[in-house]
Amino acid sequence: MNTQIDSSFTPDALVVGGGIAGLQSALDLADQGLKVLVVERQASIGGHMIALSKVFPTLDCASCITTPKMSAAAHHENITILTSTEVEAIESAGGVHHVKLLQKPTYVNFDKCIGCRLCEYACDTEYPDPFEEGLGAVKAIAVPFTNAIPQKAVLNAEHCSTCGTCARVCPTDAIEFDQQPRRLTIATDAVIVASGFKLNSITVKPQYNAQRSQDIISPLTLERLLAPHGPYGRVLRPSDGKIPGSIAFVQCAGSRDESIGVPYCSRVCCMYSIKQAMLLSGALPLADITIYYMDIRAFGKGYEQFFQNAKAMGINFVRGKVARIDPLDGGDLSLHVENTEEAENPIAERRHDLVVLAQGMIPGWNPAAATPVACAADGFVATTSLTAPTATVAPGIFVAGTAAGPKDIVDTIAEAGAAAMQASQYLFQKRAEALVG
Amino acid sequence: MARVVNTSLLSNIKRHGKGSALDVSACFNCGNCTAVCPLAEETAGFPRRVIRMAQVGMEPELLASEELWRCYACGECTRTCPRQADPAEFMAAARSYAISRYDFTGLAGLVNRSIFGNLLVFAVFSLVFELLLSAKMNPAGPQAPLFRFLPGWWIHDVGVGLFAVVGLSAAFGMISMFARFRAERVHHGSAPPLAALPGAVVSGVLDALLHTRFRQCDAAEQAAAPPTEPLVLRPWFVHVSVMGGFLAMLLATTLDYLLKPIGSPAPPWYPMRLLGAAGGLVCLYGLTVMLLRRIRAKEVPWRKSAFADWFFPSLLAATVLTGLATETAVYLPLGRIGHTIFFVHVVLAMDLIAMLPLTKFAHVLYRTLALVLYSWRRAPVAVTAADAEA
Repeated sequence: MNTQIDSSFTPDALVVGGGIAGLQSALDLADQGLKVLVVERQASIGGHMIALSKVFPTLDCASCITTPKMSAAAHHENITILTSTEVEAIESAGGVHHVKLLQKPTYVNFDKCIGCRLCEYACDTEYPDPFEEGLGAVKAIAVPFTNAIPQKAVLNAEHCSTCGTCARVCPTDAIEFDQQPRRLTIATDAVIVASGFKLNSITVKPQYNAQRSQDIISPLTLERLLAPHGPYGRVLRPSDGKIPGSIAFVQCAGSRDESIGVPYCSRVCCMYSIKQAMLLSGALPLADITIYYMDIRAFGKGYEQFFQNAKAMGINFVRGKVARIDPLDGGDLSLHVENTEEAENPIAERRHDLVVLAQGMIPGWNPAAATPVACAADGFVATTSLTAPTATVAPGIFVAGTAAGPKDIVDTIAEAGAAAMQASQYLFQKRAEALVG
Repeated sequence: MARVVNTSLLSNIKRHGKGSALDVSACFNCGNCTAVCPLAEETAGFPRRVIRMAQVGMEPELLASEELWRCYACGECTRTCPRQADPAEFMAAARSYAISRYDFTGLAGLVNRSIFGNLLVFAVFSLVFELLLSAKMNPAGPQAPLFRFLPGWWIHDVGVGLFAVVGLSAAFGMISMFARFRAERVHHGSAPPLAALPGAVVSGVLDALLHTRFRQCDAAEQAAAPPTEPLVLRPWFVHVSVMGGFLAMLLATTLDYLLKPIGSPAPPWYPMRLLGAAGGLVCLYGLTVMLLRRIRAKEVPWRKSAFADWFFPSLLAATVLTGLATETAVYLPLGRIGHTIFFVHVVLAMDLIAMLPLTKFAHVLYRTLALVLYSWRRAPVAVTAADAEA
């Protein structure tokens, strides 16, 4: 792993995104002897997966799967990783892709930083921790999270009070307040776009009034509440720290809804909600848990059994789309929903004290503006062929994981491997053609 | 009892709506519309159930459901529908379909399904009234009073005949709806007792006159989406203007006939004349707002308009306009022009009444009856001796 590179560095392949898809693609390429550059926008690789508590349908610990992958990539001799770096544009000419990168300043010299965290302990400025979805606090200079890679401190200039304490305590003089953004262009033969997803905002549907209650939360917030090393170390509702007694999951809260412009199914929400409901019933054995759904889409291997297990565990499933959520005085939330399987009294008022809006996936990055890659109508990267499912419209640029459309971790890893295979086949064929002349 | 499924029910309803623009087959029955509806109550869910009935061809249930007429088309369901299946428009189309099915003459189907049919029926009715009225027309001079030109007693006689025929047709339609409702309730073993019917009639008619539920609809809408519209533009107020104005004109005309000799001159400040003129203006205000909203076609319930949506308010507006012009003509030496305006007004008014059970005007029958049935349905079910033993 080497973060000090310049434009003379010419990797065989460049991977956009250091989440589970990007890391899997990079490892599969690097293991074939190809030089790979991984470009990650955040300060640590690991993507969304490193922030999850457990994965479905096996309930394996997400960190225990992601951390070894992160570590393997970071220590691989053929893999170079640039964090805090964005792809600004890709210009393709004569089969070579010129990738324009913007390295954002971290105000810490990574060659000098030894990850001792003395700066973090000394810093007296805190802000809501983005890794914990805004719950808990993090210092203005800090290693992004416990198992972040690289284990280097990063200074957040927006929240820094420029008091200079970190520079004074740093044993290796790694703090550089005068760092500037740095642009460089990397020439490479193949690119894999693994730029991942965002969850749709919980305020996207005004009828759900998420801006009026702290107890209407995103599923990623619940992941952090459920994680053993999460912000509170236990499940408490954010507004007042009460142990929730009645929790609602609202399915299709940010997808399959043309009124908010996301008509497609996000594919993972049913399963992650069922998983979260199961974990919640373990964490809060006395809580009532209800999942409001339109259809349960448990399509993968072992998924239907997982759904049946959840029902057997006593999790309530109510078929009906939640139309409106009203915050009530006293902190409870009133859900307006028709139980479409109930003949008598289908629209009784339902009260809960914590509501999770199962938001769907939307694209994390729009490459169509500045690269030869095209996007489909849904905003995800367009693929061109059923027989080459990771090929984009641009030769030599491939796509993997949720950049191509909503999918779960199992499918993402399989697709990342496929993208790496197609990319290496492309690269070796190109080399063979060059030899033949 | 065997249930008959009408497999073409949905396509028939679509023909009463805006055709392919009505995409209710996209509905996957998530229940959002029912949950968001300000009028849905614990025991009665619509629009989803009504849409389901149409999707699976449950025609008897659909035509027996008074829920159709309890919807005032606020459009909240359409605004929030995840499939953009337009439940509000579906409800409107289903009401139009119900008007066609309750009408035993078959003319309503013609009127509501096609522009041509609508105009044909209108033209035939207009011709009939023209011929009937012309039969007793006096070839008086241009300065003759209106009622010398067209004898008042003859208008009265034709009018009474018309009311009798239309009344009969309306009664058949309402009985048809009532019978379906009752049969469906009996089928489900939840028929309300007949003894509770008179009370239900009172509360249903009061609801229709006072717009109790219409206002409830409005209150929820205003709470959900500020900024609030001024009162005079809110749908229920606009509707009250049209309905109140119309009732005032009806009352004025009736009292005019009862209290003073037909065609006798009266000063402009004669109370009945003032009531009629005021009613006409108020009614015209409401109709103007309604029609302008359809022309602008911006907000949800007025975004899509079928020909039938234009026809009834336009016919009513034309009748009121010619009526007001006639009132003016009485006091002005307009000669032949005055005679023509008067004649056109009488023909249009008769068209309006004749087409009552066929056009959207029929909602005065069926919505009122639906509110009665709704009130009746909520009456406690009588427990029979057999039930008690079981």
